[in-house]
Amino acid sequence: MSTGKENKDENSKSFTPSRIFKSRRDSHDDLPIEGWPMGTATLLTEIDKKMMVVLRDNRTLIGYLRSIDQFGNLALHQTIERIYVGSKYGDIPRGIFIVRGENAVLLGELDQTRDVGLIEQVSVEEILNAQRREQEAKQEKNKVLAKALRERGLSFVNDLVQEDQF
Amino acid sequence: MLVELKNGETYNGHLVSCDNWMNINLREVICTSRDGDKFWRMPECYIRGSTIKYLRIPDEIIDMVKEDLVVKAKGRRDAKTARGGQRGRGAQRGSFGGRGGKGPGGPGGRGGGGVGRPFNKPRGKIEIFINEPVDKV
Repeated sequence: MSTGKENKDENSKSFTPSRIFKSRRDSHDDLPIEGWPMGTATLLTEIDKKMMVVLRDNRTLIGYLRSIDQFGNLALHQTIERIYVGSKYGDIPRGIFIVRGENAVLLGELDQTRDVGLIEQVSVEEILNAQRREQEAKQEKNKVLAKALRERGLSFVNDLVQEDQF
Repeated sequence: MLVELKNGETYNGHLVSCDNWMNINLREVICTSRDGDKFWRMPECYIRGSTIKYLRIPDEIIDMVKEDLVVKAKGRRDAKTARGGQRGRGAQRGSFGGRGGKGPGGPGGRGGGGVGRPFNKPRGKIEIFINEPVDKV
């Protein structure tokens, strides 16, 4: 008897933020959030998790997602910038980020158990050097390509190849 | 705080005000070119929100928000007792006031708050500044 009444009360309250957060913490992560239609896309379930964000400029940020809004703006706490070069990566501590939503390409929870051992962490200095070398190699390649294209009467826009593939 | 634009330029300065579109006013700005090789200093600047890539704010902000919440709660409690249980909205205002010069680095007492506060209402005396230039990657 009493359970029926409680359920009714819960349903009537289920759209308030506090209800959303409570049900998120109480329930299993895979289940839909109580009170929302099935398949509703929301980032609220990801709050306070360690998330990886890839920006349009190809930078990767990893931090605790502390807040979001209706535009997909993201507040990240204890953020690091992770730079990947080949099978190596380096982390640079960056602090608190507020990412304007339109610049985020990807947001995903970081599964810290998955890639252990597959890639190797190196020092910031080392990864920055590796990144610079990679950039220089790419530029060299582009120069050759540009020259070849020019000889064939075609133009080559360096900027388009360099970045912003999204 | 530090503002990076979509074109890679960064603007490092004290937040004066912002609005619902993320348009931002900064004071004592150091602008850095995309490659990090050219710098401009300007007394103030205005940044259109739509050109922003991200903002970086110093860690100390978190502590300030905590302080602010405490002050707010206190204000609310006071208002409650004073007005016999009514919640006083007015008591929440200006809770950042009178704490100038506590921020890290630089001369104190300028700039407005940004986080967890209503937009569009520059007030208070928080120092928002990231001292070191961002490492160019």
